[in-house]
Amino acid sequence: MGDRKIDYDALVKSDRVHSSVYTDPAIFEDELDKIFHRGWVYVGHANEIPNRGDFRLKRIGKYPVIMVRGDDGDVRLLLNRCRHRGATVCQTEAGNAPVFRCAYHGWTYRNNGALAGVTYPDGYGDSLHKEDLGLTRVPRMGNYRGFIFGSVSPAGITLEDHLGKVTEQIDLFVDLSPEGEIEVRSGSSKSHYFGNWKLQIENTIDGYHPNFSHETFFEIMRQRTGAKVDVFYGNSLGETRDMGGGHVMLDYRRYNRQFASQTHSTPLRMRVQGATGTMPSTGVLDYRRAIEERNGPERAAEILNAGGTHTLVFPNMALLGVQIRVVYPIAPDKTEVVLYPTTLKGGSAKLNATRLRAHEDFYGPAGFGQPDDGELFARVQQGVQADLDPWLLFTRGLHREHRDADGTLVGQMTDEVPQRGIWSHWKKVMSQDAADSANAREDRVARAARGR
Amino acid sequence: MAIDYRQVKSFLFREARLMDESAYDEWLALWADDALYWIPANIDDPDPANHISTIYDNRAHLEARIRRLRSGLAHAQAPKSRMRRVVSNIEIEEAAGGEIVTHSNFVLGEFRRGEQDVFIGRTIHKLRSDGAGGFRIFYKKVILLNNDGSIDNLTFLV
Repeated sequence: MGDRKIDYDALVKSDRVHSSVYTDPAIFEDELDKIFHRGWVYVGHANEIPNRGDFRLKRIGKYPVIMVRGDDGDVRLLLNRCRHRGATVCQTEAGNAPVFRCAYHGWTYRNNGALAGVTYPDGYGDSLHKEDLGLTRVPRMGNYRGFIFGSVSPAGITLEDHLGKVTEQIDLFVDLSPEGEIEVRSGSSKSHYFGNWKLQIENTIDGYHPNFSHETFFEIMRQRTGAKVDVFYGNSLGETRDMGGGHVMLDYRRYNRQFASQTHSTPLRMRVQGATGTMPSTGVLDYRRAIEERNGPERAAEILNAGGTHTLVFPNMALLGVQIRVVYPIAPDKTEVVLYPTTLKGGSAKLNATRLRAHEDFYGPAGFGQPDDGELFARVQQGVQADLDPWLLFTRGLHREHRDADGTLVGQMTDEVPQRGIWSHWKKVMSQDAADSANAREDRVARAARGR
Repeated sequence: MAIDYRQVKSFLFREARLMDESAYDEWLALWADDALYWIPANIDDPDPANHISTIYDNRAHLEARIRRLRSGLAHAQAPKSRMRRVVSNIEIEEAAGGEIVTHSNFVLGEFRRGEQDVFIGRTIHKLRSDGAGGFRIFYKKVILLNNDGSIDNLTFLV
């Protein structure tokens, strides 16, 4: 960070935020440092690399990362940077390799990161300690049900503490699988938009916008499936929920319970197959039976009522529809969004293909929904340049939000409880002392130097 | 029946012009009832049963796409894209049953909200006679050069 001390208290109030949080390059750099290069971020899913030697290129903030399953079967996050002169050692987005070889001077690394060989080693005399020069590990890595998270900071709260209550929602997403595992091997929809990254995470858990931004999609859905979707109405029984830690969700459970007695209800179909999926009712019955057999009647009822989830895992991952959504900040006014549609292990081929087709309907750069969101983000980014009245309002539902027995904050489906939850956590993280940040970086460097 | 190459090429050029001008209804009228309109994502030739696509439209989906674009509420086309494309390197084969398969390349310039984008790709058309001297498209696959890159907007006709 530069010399300028940013007063985040002045920019983020409990019910409004200042335009500059979307536009200021200094704030953007500070976010990369404090959120993406210090905290826990989602990196990828273990199912993307099922076999020994499988790897996939990922990013943590600005850092290029190789997510790789070594010959020992362990998943690791390695920085994609030769320890000699800094070139990336892996260029292929996905594949299987026993070693990574830097093309610059020919240094090679095993798929567990260890330095395997240096060319013309005599030239180093006895000064080279190969055991100290493996590919740098992302200092902390955690795995929750196959979801791999990394933190570039060697110290900080545990992944368990970071995730908190949101693990319940991850469970509900994964337990839709008859075998309790999702598969993340159906490719990805990659988009970008010309707006700040927080516009996407605010919007992902926004139950107010769908009826307006996505009117055309609901009309197509009604024509295709006969279902009228009223979950996003101002009087919907659906709720919004702030689980703390920046993790927020749209909670469909109260709405869905109205249909709990129907074996082939629209909400169930939407959660399992995606919004526009159409599957014969025999398929749905077989599926229900499998979920009940695996989970017992009580948990099965919860999964079938609540599963699927619509949840943001702060800062960069969301689960909604059939997808894992990952958000990459590129610049203050440019963001990439990669969506990984998932399939259900143990689900029928028909069910899983249906999930993919339903995903395509709304998502991707030619979908019937996502490009319209991107257009609106660009309009916001353009609009907030005009900062005479600089505040964006997040007041909706303030008068009626309430604290639930489990400690989460709850509002109506169209209320801005999730956005307030994101912003209050964002302010907390961003208000960490810059000195802490610098110390953390020095600590990181010192540990790296000591540890090898 | 021998293929009339000029007729096939002129069909492809007409289709390109209708796309350039977002002439939605006239473009939709070129398609057969058993249409498949496919733009693969990430790789050129995945199995759509287990890999996501950018577009995988049957006739009903295609009609929905056009209805949406015509509604005035597809915000990503408000304003509409201005487009011009060049279709070239056309290769034409005759397949069984009098069907015609064409392979062609395109370069598409697209201008919207002050920004010009360029899209490049290869298209495979499968055509059959409409019985009135013209053709109907029953299969169209567009292999985008950047199908594994991020794209901000592909809501116009390609």
